[in-house]
Parts: sequence; structure tokens; C-alpha cells
Amino acid sequence: MTDTILETQNLTKEFGKLVAVDDVNLDIERGEFRSLIGPNGAGKTTTFNLLTGALRPTRGTVTFNGEDVSALPPHQRVRRGLGRSFQITNVFSGLTVRENVRLAAQAARHEGFTPVEEFLDNKDSFDDVNEHTDRVLERSGLLGRGDEPADVMAYGDKRRLEIAIVLATDPEMVLLDEPTAGMSAEETRSTMDLIDEVLSDRTLLLIEHDIDLVMRVSDRITVLHRGEILSEGTPEEVSEDPEVREAYFGGVEA
Amino acid sequence: MSVASAVAEQVLNGLVVGMVYVLLAAGLSIIFGVMDVINFAHGELFALGAYFAFAIAGPLGGAGFWVALVVAPLLVGVVGMGIERLTVKRLYGRDPLYHILLTFGLVLIINDLITSVWGKSAQPFPIPAVLDQPVALFGFNYSLYNYGIIIFGSILALGTWLLLNRTRFGMIIRAGSEDREMVRNLGINIDRYYTLTFGLGAALAGVAGIVLGAYQNVSPTMGSSVIIPAFVIVVLGGLGSFRGAVVGGLFVGVVQTLARTYTPFLEGLIVFLLMIVVLVVRPKGLFGTNIGAGEHHDGALLHGAGGGVLSSATRAKLGYAAVGVLVLVPFFAELTGVTYSVTLLEDILIWALFALSLDLVLGYAGLVSLGHTLFYGVGAYASVLTLMHFSPSVFVALAVAVVVCAVIAWSVGYLSIRVSGVFFAMITLAFAELFYNAVFKFDFTGGSDGLFGVDVFYGLAGLGIDPREFEIPLGIMTIDGGMVQYYFLLAVVVGSYLLARRLIRAPFGSVLQAIRESEERASFIGYDVTAYKRRAFVVSGGLAGLAGGLFAANNGYVAPSFLHWINSGEVIVMTVLGGMGTLYGPMIGAGVFVAAEDILSSYIEQWQLVIGVLFVLFVIFVPRGLVSLPQTITEHSMFESAVGDRTSVKDAEVERHD
Repeated sequence: MTDTILETQNLTKEFGKLVAVDDVNLDIERGEFRSLIGPNGAGKTTTFNLLTGALRPTRGTVTFNGEDVSALPPHQRVRRGLGRSFQITNVFSGLTVRENVRLAAQAARHEGFTPVEEFLDNKDSFDDVNEHTDRVLERSGLLGRGDEPADVMAYGDKRRLEIAIVLATDPEMVLLDEPTAGMSAEETRSTMDLIDEVLSDRTLLLIEHDIDLVMRVSDRITVLHRGEILSEGTPEEVSEDPEVREAYFGGVEA
Repeated sequence: MSVASAVAEQVLNGLVVGMVYVLLAAGLSIIFGVMDVINFAHGELFALGAYFAFAIAGPLGGAGFWVALVVAPLLVGVVGMGIERLTVKRLYGRDPLYHILLTFGLVLIINDLITSVWGKSAQPFPIPAVLDQPVALFGFNYSLYNYGIIIFGSILALGTWLLLNRTRFGMIIRAGSEDREMVRNLGINIDRYYTLTFGLGAALAGVAGIVLGAYQNVSPTMGSSVIIPAFVIVVLGGLGSFRGAVVGGLFVGVVQTLARTYTPFLEGLIVFLLMIVVLVVRPKGLFGTNIGAGEHHDGALLHGAGGGVLSSATRAKLGYAAVGVLVLVPFFAELTGVTYSVTLLEDILIWALFALSLDLVLGYAGLVSLGHTLFYGVGAYASVLTLMHFSPSVFVALAVAVVVCAVIAWSVGYLSIRVSGVFFAMITLAFAELFYNAVFKFDFTGGSDGLFGVDVFYGLAGLGIDPREFEIPLGIMTIDGGMVQYYFLLAVVVGSYLLARRLIRAPFGSVLQAIRESEERASFIGYDVTAYKRRAFVVSGGLAGLAGGLFAANNGYVAPSFLHWINSGEVIVMTVLGGMGTLYGPMIGAGVFVAAEDILSSYIEQWQLVIGVLFVLFVIFVPRGLVSLPQTITEHSMFESAVGDRTSVKDAEVERHD
């Protein structure tokens, strides 16, 4: 038996008459870099939202580390180790870089606070949170920039902070929502390098429509088409699957 | 008269009032739906319509009413367009909160103008003789004028609907409400249409004012008495939904009228109960669809200014100095005989605490509580009732006030915090109005008189100070009970400030700031956003209750006016005036506001007008409040205003929070 970290069974989401996600069964192994691809409208974003808890499924379940998390709100899933990044950089722009990361680190050990600590102690007085913050800043290449306000950072640095925040929540698995959307080839490469550098020891699920990128980085690929799983396998297997070619290239001989 | 015809008459009366509400709510709803503006001044435009008509019809005699019915709404429309051009327009793109603030200032201005021109008392506004007669229909007599209102209102509502749905004008403004930029890119001058829309809404309010003015009479309070029901209707029906405004207006009119006749106890309560139930069951309102409309603002400028140019050490010194001065004031007052200044300071301290409590939710958790006086009033009632029935100790009374308010805040928060944004604002307003109307109904709250004549004891179980007997001679002066009261108040307020500061610097406060920056992100790093907001609301409710309890204990009375929505408005004004998102800003704001009100009201009769104008200017030009002034001034001298306001706002967000 392989070690499954995230599993969906018959996952289905209907919006009125539209079936956005139709009976999807995913099985993601611990430590794997999985990609979920598909043309526009394939149901990638809906699936992503079902996994993070932003949407509730019409039918089916999401199991994380053996626990059924289908009914849990997003913050509970994050607490259990299922982190996510945002497509459009979403940082606390009015706060400093360090405070951005510290807040995520604080969330990771949040259950441990007594009411006195939670409401009356200075937020910067918790050694374990501070150390965790320092470690994350260092690992994501932001050490020494902690005092900078997040909203004046360059775009690339904001992406870096975005990843650092995810890392600070101490996730076992990270869901990446099109992290390179709208980027140039150069930016795409450096972002993927950053993800590789910072998050390589976590299980990753990348939602992406750029097929070339996915081919390069993934261990395994799941192809969605019209809400259903069309194909699944290693990049080689998937790229040779005639059905995938049909769906992606519309029958044009490649 | 048979029972059936009596009921029919009441239903007709309800439809008459309902029609007035429809016209009012339609205007409000259109203005909100198209421009995302919550227009608090709508009630004053309504009153203005009535007074314009009154002024036109009077001298003209006979046909005057008909002339007024056409001319007065047009005038109100022009006033509305002027308001949009000069004030509202400058705030597009900012958080909807600023429109609430701005239009609240306009309420003060217009209302004061009305009283200074037409006087404070109500005046009869006769309806034309031709309409002033009963007609027999379906076997009973009923006023022709009332039938007229129902028919005229229906035609006007239908006309408005056609205008919005069947004309080019309507198409453009509906498109503009979806995507303003897109419409502009099509080469349409959308700004002009916005102005016209505001004018249209204002004119409809004007018509409603005339109709109701002639049905009852014209009075300066007619605006403030309809604005809250009008809001309830708009929320009930669904913000921005025209159909909702019509159905809600008629429904509320009928329910209100029937309740007045058949269940007098529920009069004034039932509408708010209905609204709360509807919003809990259907948060978007009965016909609401575009819930997103008010939600997707980036919250530009919602939060305050923070440290500005002053370092935290300087601010600490200023804080100590302020407390030092406050400690010394009673001595000087005693020596110079100006004891009045102590009374004023007590007022300021209490409002400062109230503003501080609001800031915790408004400035830190990003929750716009429009009904915060609920907690102030309930705290006051709770402490007076405790003093009367359980214990003379001020400590016990205040503790009860805080606990009761915290419990109410938890319940209100539980029901309403999941409903976000504008709806939260409306639900809090509804709860406050519910309690306001409820205290009139009960004997134990003293009805409309309130409760008075309570004495307090500064101690527990017989040990302590009775301010009535306390006196220590000290050289040329005496320390008396009044001073005990003052110092106790000062200690509680300073203590509350220090507590709030610790909360904000603790993990709890850091999460609130995260939520204010980005709710979604806060949730996706593992925080239960709703729970945090609720906790902030509980703390805030408790502190507001403390403020109300202190006022009641100090002055020995409580009255329904403690729960009046105008207090909620004023405390928001103070908070924004000072600078929300800093703890000391709102307290400074309270000081300036209360002192200004006190001084102005003793010199000028139109002090409300002056305060209103100042406030409007503030909202437009200094949205981050008084505490941002030093910084703004420094920046302007540095950049010679060449860089423009946009950048200075951005830079200002660098240092913040305390």
C-alpha cells in the first residue's frame, strides 16, 4: 500500500445544472509533486476550491491524512497541514514582511496559547514563534528584509513572501493555484525555482494550464476535462495519451 | 363600522404609508444599487421636499399644491445633484463607510438649515380642498387624498421602473453599476449619469416628503423618523433591488399600521424583528441578488494613520502629559471656580471610551457597527437598574453593565457577523433600534421618562466612599465627592485604554490587523476569521457598555435617548475624526468633537450646521483623521504637493498600528 496524503472520492460539484466537477477520484501520495491540468473550464479551479474548503462538494468526500475534511472550513484544513498559495499575490500589504510571516507562524502554533497569552502578552514575546519566523525568512531568502513594508516590495519579492507565508503555516501539503499566471518565461522559471527551493520537501499539488511547465516539474499529472478525469500518469504517459492530445489540441496532429 | 371594513381601512392606511416608503426606498435603493452609496441624508431630502412644497404652496393658495407637487421635487432633485457633484462624487472608489460618514454630516447640515429657515415646530400643510373629502367605495368611506396617494405613488413607481428598465438612461446606469470602467471605455460620460441618478433618487424622496407632509404635517424631525424604516425596507427587500423596495415598502407600511392598531406593544418593534429574521434566514434580503455589489472594495483608506511623524516615544510622552493635565484640572477648577470644565471633561472622557470601544471593531476588525449605541444605552440601563435594585456599589453596577453588554454583543455578533459588510452595519442598526423602541414599552425601564435619582457608592460591602458625604479639607480647597467621581472616571478610562493597547499588541490584536488587511488570507493561514471578529465585537460591546454605565452612574439617570441612533452616528464621527485604527486617535476625536459641540452650541444657534460642514470637509480632505495631520503637513511641505495625494496615502501606510 502506498502512503496516501490526500484522497477524493466521487467528488462532485454542481452549480445549478452545470456539473463543474464530476465524480473525481484523486489519490495523492505523500511527497509527490502532482499537477492538475486541463483546458479552460475543465473544473480545475472548482476542484481547487473544494480541496481548500472555499466550496463544499455537492457529493463525495475529501480525505486528508486519513481524516474526512469535507465539511471543515478553510482555516481548519490549514491547521491540519493543508496549505495553499494564491494566484494573485495576497499578502498583508499594510504590515511588514516579518509580521506577515510571523502571523502565519503564530497560526501554526495557535492552539497552544492560553487566554492570557492570546489576549494580553506581547505578540513578539513568543520564542518558538519568533524562531520559526526567522527560520522561514531565512529559508525563503527574506532574512534581513523583515522590516520592509510588504506593499512596497517588487512583484517578484511579493511572490517570495507569498511562498514564505505558506511555508510558515507548516503545511504537509501545499496547493498551488496557477502560481505563474500572467508571468513572463523568465519570471515563471524563477518562481518555479523558488517553489522547488522552499517547498520541495512537501507534497505539492499544482493547478496549472501551461502544459509545458507541468511536463517539466511534475512527478505525476492528472488531466481534467469537462469536470472529469481524462487521464492520469507520469508526464510521459500523459503526453502520449491520445485522448489528452484530442482534448488539448482539438484533433490537430502534433 | 364592521370589523372587516375597519381592517380594510387600516390596510389602506398602511398602503398610504407604504407608498411613501416605496418612493423613499426606491430612491435609496437606486442610489445604492448604482453607486454603492448608502445615503443617510435621504430622510433630510425627503423633509426638504415637504418644506419646499410648503413654502411654494402657502403663498399661491388654491392651485399651489399642484404647482408645488411638480416644482418642489425638481428643486430637491437639483439639490441632490449638487450634493453628488460637490461631495459624494469625490468619494467614489473609497470604502462605502465614507459615504455613510459623509451623508451623516449632510444630515446635520440640511436639518439645521431646515430649522433655521422654517423653525423647530411642526406646521400644518393643508391638502387641496378638492382632495379633502371622503369617497364611498366598496361600501365604506375613505379619504380621496389617501386613494390619491396610492394611485399617484403606483404610477410614479411604475414610471421609475420603466425608466430603469426600458430606456437608454436606465440601461446605461445599470451597466454602470456592473462595471463603471467598461461603460466609460465605451465613450459614455458615466459621471453625468451618476449625478442624474442621485438627482432622481433625491426627487423621489422629495415627492414622498410632500405626500406625507400633506397627509400629516411638516416638521424638522420628519426626515429622521423615516430614514431608519426606509433602510429597513431596502435591506428587507434586498439592497439595490427595485422590486424589493416596492414589496418591502408596502409590506412594512401595512405591518406597521396594523401593529399600531391591533398589537400596540409590538409597534416600533415588529419591523426590526422582521428585518432581523429575514437577514438571518436570507442574508441577501428577499429579492437581493447582487450581494457582491458592496463587498468588493479594496477597503481603500478604511484604516487609520498610525504614528505619523511622531515617534512612539514622543507619543508616549504626549500621553503622559495629557493624563497629567487631566489629573490637575480639578484643582485649577476648584481654585478658579470654573467647575464647569470638570463636567465637560467627564463628558469627553466617557465619549472617548465609547469611541475607543468602537475603534476596536471599526478600525481593527473592519466591522462597521452602525448601532453601537446599543451597548452604550444598555450599559447605562443595566448599571442604573443594578444601582436601584441590587447594590449601590458603582463597581458592581459597572461590572453588570460590562457583562450584560458583552453577552448581548456575543449574541448579536453570532447572528450577524457571518453576514458581512453593509448588512452587518444594517443589522447592528436594527438591533439598536429594536432596543431603543423596546425601552419605551416596559415599566421597569421607566418608559419614555427613563430612570433617574440613583446614588452611587464608591466601594464594596459598605467599605468605601460615599461621594455625598465625602470631604477632605486640603489647605485652601477641599477634595469632595465630585473629585472622587472624576478621578474614578479618569482611572477607568485610562485603564481601559491600556487594556485595549495590550489587546492590540497581543496575538489577538495582531490577528485582527491581519483580518483587516485581508480576510481571505487570514483564513488561509489558519485563523477562524468569524470567531476573531466576534471576540472583538464582544470586547468592544463590553467597553461601550462600560462607557454607558459610567455616564449613567455619574449623572444618576438613564433615558431612551441613550439608545438613539444619532449617538451611533456621533461616535463614528468622533472615531473617524480622530483617526481610526489607532487607539488614541478616536479618543482625541471625541475630545475635539464634544468640546467643539459644547463651545459652538453656547455661541451659535446653528452649531449643528458648522459641525456638519467641518465633518464633511474632514471626510473628503482628511479621511485618515486628526492624527494624520502632522504627517500630511510634513509631506506637503516635503513634496510641495507635486506628487499628489495618491502617493502620500500609500507612503502613510508604512508605519501604522499601535
